[in-house]
Amino acid sequence: MISALTEADVIDAVRAARAMNRTLEITGAGTKRAYGRPMFCDDVLNVSTLSGIVKYEAAELLLTVLPGTPVAEITALLESKNQRLGFEPADWGPLLGTPIGNATIGGVLSADVNGAAAIRYGRARDSLLGVRAVNGMGEAYKAGGKVVKNVTGFDLPKLICGALGTLGVLTEVTLRVYPKPAQSVSIIVRDVNVEDGFALLRRVWQSPLEATALAYIPASLPLAQLGYVGEGAALIRLEGAHEPLKEKIAALLAIAPAAQQIEASSFFEAISSGAIFAEQSCDLWRISVPPSEAAGIVRHMGSPLFAADWAGRFIWIGLEAGGNGAELRALCECAGGQATLVKADKETRQRVAPFSPESPARRAVTKAVKAAFDPQNIFNPGRMWKAV
Amino acid sequence: MLLPAPKPEILARRDSIVRRLRVLAPDGVVADEAGLTAFDGDALTAYRQKALACVLPKNKEEVSAVLKFAAEEGIAIVPRGAGTSLSGGALPLADAILMGMGRMNRIVEIDYENRCVVTEPGVTNLSITRAVEARGFYYAPDPSSQIACTIGGNVAENSGGIHCLKYGLTTHNLLGAEIALPGGERVKLGGKAGDGGLDLLGVVAGSEGLLGVVVEATLRILPRPPVTRTLMAAFRSVPDAGQCVADIIGAGVIPAAMEFMDRNCIGAVEDYCSPGYPRDAEGILIIEVDGVAAEAAHAAERVTEIAKLAGASAVTEACDESERTRLWAGRKAAFPAMGRLAPDMLCMDGTIPRHALPRVLVRMAEMSKEYGLGFCNVFHAGDGNLHPLIIFDVMKEGELARAEAFGAAILQLCVEVGGVLTGEHGVGVEKRDLMPVMFSDADLAQQQRLKCAFDGAGLFNPGKVFPSLSACVELGHMHVKSGRVPFPNLPRF
Repeated sequence: MISALTEADVIDAVRAARAMNRTLEITGAGTKRAYGRPMFCDDVLNVSTLSGIVKYEAAELLLTVLPGTPVAEITALLESKNQRLGFEPADWGPLLGTPIGNATIGGVLSADVNGAAAIRYGRARDSLLGVRAVNGMGEAYKAGGKVVKNVTGFDLPKLICGALGTLGVLTEVTLRVYPKPAQSVSIIVRDVNVEDGFALLRRVWQSPLEATALAYIPASLPLAQLGYVGEGAALIRLEGAHEPLKEKIAALLAIAPAAQQIEASSFFEAISSGAIFAEQSCDLWRISVPPSEAAGIVRHMGSPLFAADWAGRFIWIGLEAGGNGAELRALCECAGGQATLVKADKETRQRVAPFSPESPARRAVTKAVKAAFDPQNIFNPGRMWKAV
Repeated sequence: MLLPAPKPEILARRDSIVRRLRVLAPDGVVADEAGLTAFDGDALTAYRQKALACVLPKNKEEVSAVLKFAAEEGIAIVPRGAGTSLSGGALPLADAILMGMGRMNRIVEIDYENRCVVTEPGVTNLSITRAVEARGFYYAPDPSSQIACTIGGNVAENSGGIHCLKYGLTTHNLLGAEIALPGGERVKLGGKAGDGGLDLLGVVAGSEGLLGVVVEATLRILPRPPVTRTLMAAFRSVPDAGQCVADIIGAGVIPAAMEFMDRNCIGAVEDYCSPGYPRDAEGILIIEVDGVAAEAAHAAERVTEIAKLAGASAVTEACDESERTRLWAGRKAAFPAMGRLAPDMLCMDGTIPRHALPRVLVRMAEMSKEYGLGFCNVFHAGDGNLHPLIIFDVMKEGELARAEAFGAAILQLCVEVGGVLTGEHGVGVEKRDLMPVMFSDADLAQQQRLKCAFDGAGLFNPGKVFPSLSACVELGHMHVKSGRVPFPNLPRF
């Protein structure tokens, strides 16, 4: 394993790999190594050692850090100035078999893993303003900027975000941060079925309450903090200063008279991160569908193991281990969405494409983009699809 | 400012090209002198150029057919929305087909349940809000040209507006797009539920017509906040206003909009449409807060308190909707109002860190004297996006060159203090040659490689964004040695 302490180390490692025709697995804390197609790389390039806060300008709502910086460290720093990351990074560690709290910001951005609040503030890609990175030719470059509003040149940061390290190695990232509201309340509507629960979440999402979490869990996935959930529970988070929050709660009660405030709040994280499925032996899929189609798909699949985030736009669905997910994929595609296999054993991830296959026209673009960043296919080869 | 030299072999074939276009897009070809004059530029008015021919497709199939023909014949394409680009993004080229998307102006679907609108590219920005406002929704990006500018152009330029700080630019409100690639093949990116794989949508947004032609877009709509309150704070000194902006953001208040205008601009706008701004102020901030009633009230209170502490001589609030509209009308009219003061105008667009506002404002005033040209300042203060308007007269010997040099100096200053060349207008031709101020050769090479991945033959909007021509094969194995690219003497067009 090669550990990089500086951008120069990354450049050296990539140039060496290029010269010797070797491939590199790019890792941070390694919390998501079991995500994507299994890879067989010649070396591991570890960037968790490329860690630290470069600059935090709270009044500018800007944070520049090295990619190996633990998310926990960033969260604590922002907390000290009453700020936070809008996309509420989710920690997929526990779901994929590593301890909680290890994830690095580089890994979170590379996988574009988002929490509940992203429904209000946008995904990780929306907060990523600028990057430094090293491409497959061993050249360092920067893209984007260090201001909140910028259209100078192509928005390469968005492309790199979510590319699972297939396009290059991040060496510095600049993020937009948000003020943290003074108060936050968690609200539960108990004993609602999937159709009614999802419809309720959509009504809240269509209202001006700016909810920062809109989730649903079925009876089969009890969370101790929630108490009795009946057939299932819709879970809502509202935020703001004291008076505005009171007004929002009153408005919510007009939409959902059965809504009740509850003390706990950590269950949103457990849902967004998939941690509630950590003990399940099923394969876990994550689907992205238009919210209005979500209940129908869940009902059709009939799996008791599911949980919805983002008012039904994102849903975890547990299916029998080793299956090919073809039915789920077809349903999602028909509804204008897609399905990704997040947790399964190696053999299954090898056999079943974890990411939805692309149309031929789009595949051609994807391959050309990959070649534009990594022409020798050095970085994480085959992690997304065979060719990328 | 030079554009790539037109290819004589294409100019020579003009008649047969026009004949072919008339087959591919019947009733959609403009090729006469008068017609082409109507399409000879955009809102960067200093530059005019007639296209080889202009084609106005009426559907996706016509777009694809024209692009297929153009690719086969090696003819370049300049996509155009409403021609409101301030950076020359839609400036035609003598040997290129100008593809105007204005006839594809249907809203395809309004889906309230999934909070989105599917639209053709030629629909105007404001039409989206108009179409959904009866149900309490709106489309957030609102560039000042919103009555004219189109969604296709907004996607290409990643347009902003006055509400970006809270609600984002176009890219943050764009759920999906169908684009036509060189050669005419169409791909769908994102959609009502997004897609897996690489975020190609994210990089197409703001790509200035260099990667594809947008033939359909899926836009996110937002529920209208129940209460909107608009305040105006007047300042005796410009740096005080700058400080006030930093203090408001620093206090954790994110206004829906926060706009600054300086004394010159206030005077011009008052003469133009009398919005009721204080003529004796050195600068004003128009600050809008929104949300549920208590939220707007809370924010209005905080903003007022902070503005007074920062030295505001007066803080007033629009008492009803008509007064609110009047306050905004003044801001949105800044551009035409200044236009009355001089025959020509350059509108710059750098973004800077907010803390640098006072310093940059002082320095710009000094530069105005050095270059001997008047200017005024109007900008999106909340996100540090400056719009200095430089006034000049193109008929006076050397004034255009001086205005451009002044503008370039302002943008260099923006980059020097940690900012960027353009916050929302795009690079186009206007800032093309300044790209090396912000980006190294390696940075630009990586962007150009992406361009090559979409458009290997360089047919889409050539001469825009990138300061030098690089053939895609050269970029494949770029050896950057001590900051030099190969062929450093390659002529810049």
